[in-house]
Amino acid sequence: MIGGLFIYNHKGEVLISRVYRDDIGRNAVDAFRVNVIHARQQVRSPVTNIARTSFFHVKRSNIWLAAVTKQNVNAAMVFEFLYKMCDVMAAYFGKISEENIKNNFVLIYELLDEILDFGYPQNSETGALKTFITQQGIKSQHHTKEEQSQITSQVTGQIGWRREGIKYRRNELFLDVLESVNLLMSPQGQVLSAHVSGRVVMKSYLSGMPECKFGMNDKIVIDKQGKGGTTDDSGKSGKQSIAIDDCTFHQCVRLSKFDSERSISFIPPDGEYELMRYRTTKDIILPFRVIPLVREVGRTKLEVKVVIKSNFKPSLLAQKIEVRIPTPLNTSGVQVICMKGKAKYKASENAIVWKIKRMAGMKESQISAEIELLPTNDKKKWARPPISMNFEVPFAPSGLKVRYLKVFEPKLNYSDHDVIKWVRYIGRSGIYETRC
Amino acid sequence: MPYFGSEEMVKELKRALSNPHVQSDRLRYKNYITKVIRYMTQGLDVSSLFMDMVKASATVDIVQKKLVYLYMCTYASDKPDLALLAINTLRKDCADPNPMVRGLALRNMCNFRMPGMTEYIEQPIVAALRDKASYVRRVAVLGCAKMHSLQPNTEIDGRIVNELYALLRDPDPVVVVNCLRALEEILKDEGGVVINKPIAHHLLNRMKELDSWAQSEVLNFLLRYHPRSDDELFDILSLLDSFLQSSHAHVVVSTLRLFLHLASAHRAVQADALLRTSAPLLATCSAVSRELRFAGLCHVQQVMRSQPGLFATHYKRFFCGYSEPSYIKFRKMEILVELVNDENVSLVLEELRSYCTDVSPELAQAAIAAIGRIARTYSEKCLDILTGLLALKQDHITSAVIQTFRDLVWFCPQSTAAVCQTVEAGVDRPQDSEGKQALLWLLGAHGDQMGSAPYVMEGYIDGLKTELSSTVKMELLTATVKMFLCRPAETQDMLGRLLHYCIEEESDVCVRDRALLYYRLLQRGAEETRRVVTGPKSDPSMSVLTGRQEEPISEWASTFNTLGPLAGRDSCPQTDAISAADQPSYSAGEELLPGSEDVTLSGPGDTEEEISLSLGAPLSHESFEKMWLDLEILHRQALGVSRPRTAPDTLQASLQLEKIQTLAFTPADTVPWKAYIYTRSTGTLILAELLQGATDESLVLSVKQQPVNQHAIRRFVSVLKSVLQTLNLE
Repeated sequence: MIGGLFIYNHKGEVLISRVYRDDIGRNAVDAFRVNVIHARQQVRSPVTNIARTSFFHVKRSNIWLAAVTKQNVNAAMVFEFLYKMCDVMAAYFGKISEENIKNNFVLIYELLDEILDFGYPQNSETGALKTFITQQGIKSQHHTKEEQSQITSQVTGQIGWRREGIKYRRNELFLDVLESVNLLMSPQGQVLSAHVSGRVVMKSYLSGMPECKFGMNDKIVIDKQGKGGTTDDSGKSGKQSIAIDDCTFHQCVRLSKFDSERSISFIPPDGEYELMRYRTTKDIILPFRVIPLVREVGRTKLEVKVVIKSNFKPSLLAQKIEVRIPTPLNTSGVQVICMKGKAKYKASENAIVWKIKRMAGMKESQISAEIELLPTNDKKKWARPPISMNFEVPFAPSGLKVRYLKVFEPKLNYSDHDVIKWVRYIGRSGIYETRC
Repeated sequence: MPYFGSEEMVKELKRALSNPHVQSDRLRYKNYITKVIRYMTQGLDVSSLFMDMVKASATVDIVQKKLVYLYMCTYASDKPDLALLAINTLRKDCADPNPMVRGLALRNMCNFRMPGMTEYIEQPIVAALRDKASYVRRVAVLGCAKMHSLQPNTEIDGRIVNELYALLRDPDPVVVVNCLRALEEILKDEGGVVINKPIAHHLLNRMKELDSWAQSEVLNFLLRYHPRSDDELFDILSLLDSFLQSSHAHVVVSTLRLFLHLASAHRAVQADALLRTSAPLLATCSAVSRELRFAGLCHVQQVMRSQPGLFATHYKRFFCGYSEPSYIKFRKMEILVELVNDENVSLVLEELRSYCTDVSPELAQAAIAAIGRIARTYSEKCLDILTGLLALKQDHITSAVIQTFRDLVWFCPQSTAAVCQTVEAGVDRPQDSEGKQALLWLLGAHGDQMGSAPYVMEGYIDGLKTELSSTVKMELLTATVKMFLCRPAETQDMLGRLLHYCIEEESDVCVRDRALLYYRLLQRGAEETRRVVTGPKSDPSMSVLTGRQEEPISEWASTFNTLGPLAGRDSCPQTDAISAADQPSYSAGEELLPGSEDVTLSGPGDTEEEISLSLGAPLSHESFEKMWLDLEILHRQALGVSRPRTAPDTLQASLQLEKIQTLAFTPADTVPWKAYIYTRSTGTLILAELLQGATDESLVLSVKQQPVNQHAIRRFVSVLKSVLQTLNLE
């Protein structure tokens, strides 16, 4: 149960404050600002206890969102609720920034009114909320009978995530497999830890109440089918299937069916939503390898050479590649030479940032830098933070492939073939670090 | 801006709002209302505009209505008489054909926090409970709770309670959950909403329709339900099974808690549930959002209290990322320490070592302390690393290493020689007071093993005038006195100087008193001083030998999935490092008194059930012996059980679990076999001897006690007997 919600900017000015329960006084807003936002030391914990009141906060860019309660609540739930709130706001006005919040503050108050009542979550699905709150505000006189009954059926309907009577001229669906690959590699090139956390995001524009079935190259399913088929078949698919460590689904997926048959079937919500989340740790295709070489020449000079190798099909192109090579605090000057892309020393970030727009697979590129150091009395050794990397590749590093997505709508006259389907794979870097 | 010229601002707004030109232009009017809300958000007092805002509520524009209602809810308690003016409009809206308007009006009417509101809202609420739109019913149900909180001390209206119980069967899932929430608040004084069998089963069947927040809450409510039979229990568990794999971390954790609670009698089911939730828990630990990651880590820590091995293979998942915030790093290190085993120890240590040079000194110190914890089992490897760290010559690292050494020597006496050698070989003087204290303690307690110890100490005594911290001074006093007892010739002169300075020139009263205390003690002779000052040099509970206990799940299940695990320990993992500086206070005179914090609150007339045993401060061998000789045997009894065949460590561990401390026992094959044990209870100290004449003969127990309390003895005998019997069964 949440007693109140506050939104602050980075300076600690209150942008939104909504109190739901009496036990939260008006001074709670200030208590959080003084004790957390204006506190000198870094944040000790996302949960702060001030005078028997718990403040849960999350930060989005430089906006602080805080939920306040006096009850002994379930922390994971409050955090997930705050993320959900961010998602809802993002669905209404895009990025959560000070400017956007100021411009939409009436709308936010409206949302907060609907999402929570007396501190209890009521309705947090963007799709359903949009029937209550439209950007311009509904005028009660012009409210037609039809719309009213729609609201009623929507809020009483068995399926909370989809309303009846949706119609599209073109039945279309978009499927995005979004993965972020995380890596921690030792200077010797040994993988210390690697995992992929992926999401299957779907945008569906389908009429009626369609039943969908989603299939991917999940090892357990393929092995099961392989047993029934020829031996040749199973041998081939064994390589292509992937082992999923764990996966979770949107509430629309019938979990009982997944448990028994491992098939993913569901009635999709309308518009954009996240169908599933999964994680794999085995046989990950690491799109890039970073080979660092750091040499200390005397006390005032460092020589850094970094080679990156792309490790995927030559026909594919990686984009937005950025390599961040940290430099010591006492750097006085840097000379960089790189074969490809642009590299710059950014003194404010204590790093050399090397950007490459595009890079094909099975290529390699190199950067070398000479770093001049100021002599210091400080005996403190430079901690050598890891080299981190950002990129985007057009395939799924986990090896996940969508095998099919079938749509059945028995009541309306369109079949699986009439639906236009789009599938896209995007692999992004999560925390992709190589120690040096 | 909110604080300067605010009065002007409010006046201007007031003028604008009452301007008929503005009022006729809808857009401009709304803009001014928005402005009012904006100032309200910034903390400006705009309550004087109440009258104008009430007027603005009579509009067809829903957004404007909402804004005005928000304003009125905030200030209604300040202006109750004016707020009453708005009620008519609101009540009219409650009968609007549009369900949204009805719901909105009712919700806001219930939000007015002012006395005397009940009479206006009761009738609309009761009517709305039967509204055909579920949206309005949702609002009405929570309205009942709000109405109750307005007048918390009035009698509960049975009619409304019954109506709410009936609405638990409502087709709309949110109405159902709201009913539970409302009933819980209304019936708070009577123990909350009653979950009987039909309600529990009804809720279980509806679980799938609920949204994740509601699922989490319903799972919490279900904790109250006790299934009648095992069959019913397993039916419930299989219904809940799929929620263990939910995509929402909080639902998974809530389900797990319910599983652990319901299956508290079935160990295998609990273990299975823990095993299956380990994957989603681990996934939460690497979630994208740090806060969720933090919550996940805290819950993993809880699970590990009972099943330390569950995550052992996944130890790499708890390596820290460079950019993670420190609160996550601290937790991860705590977990890593627990996960160490023979296979992964070198990798984990390697990882921890890289954290020791972290930019944040706090984190570096925590990493060093973590290595120290591992050193209790893998001394050699860790000591190498720690010694290596000293070579970095960083103040904060050196200080942390020395503190770690102190704790290590205390818990793990076999590493004393190696530590002494390292310290002797020359370490930098730590600069902060904690580090100084640790070094002084080491010098004082183990000065006999370090040749140069008195000279290091002399350096500190010479620099006493510039020392600021009084705790360091006190530690220096204690250490020097201890040193004097083992190496009098080298220390006598400097001890004299130290005492002279502390008594004559020191301004801090505590230090002066401590010095005077030692001075008078020394006057009574060296032997007397030795008896008082020297305590045990290592942890007498021998916790290292017995290892960490696997706690029963019930220990933590009740706080699982609340704020408890997150707040639990402070983010600094050093809390269990004992303050060795206070060691001398366990002197013989004080040991006779039971540890005051362990005394359970109960008078002499209490019944036997309420008496519990406790460990309290450890007894030294000498004082036990002295007391044993001084006291009479109060109670002697043949226990009727023979000595358990288990290893002596197990016996010691299981007695300790029941808060009975083992002082000493003879080797397993000697005849007669003896063991000396002691415990504390409600202000009394119980000493006991277990004696076995010949093999397989029954054990004979002799008990001595000070002061006498027969109840406690009876309790002690029954606990002891049950422990021995259980061990014999195994």
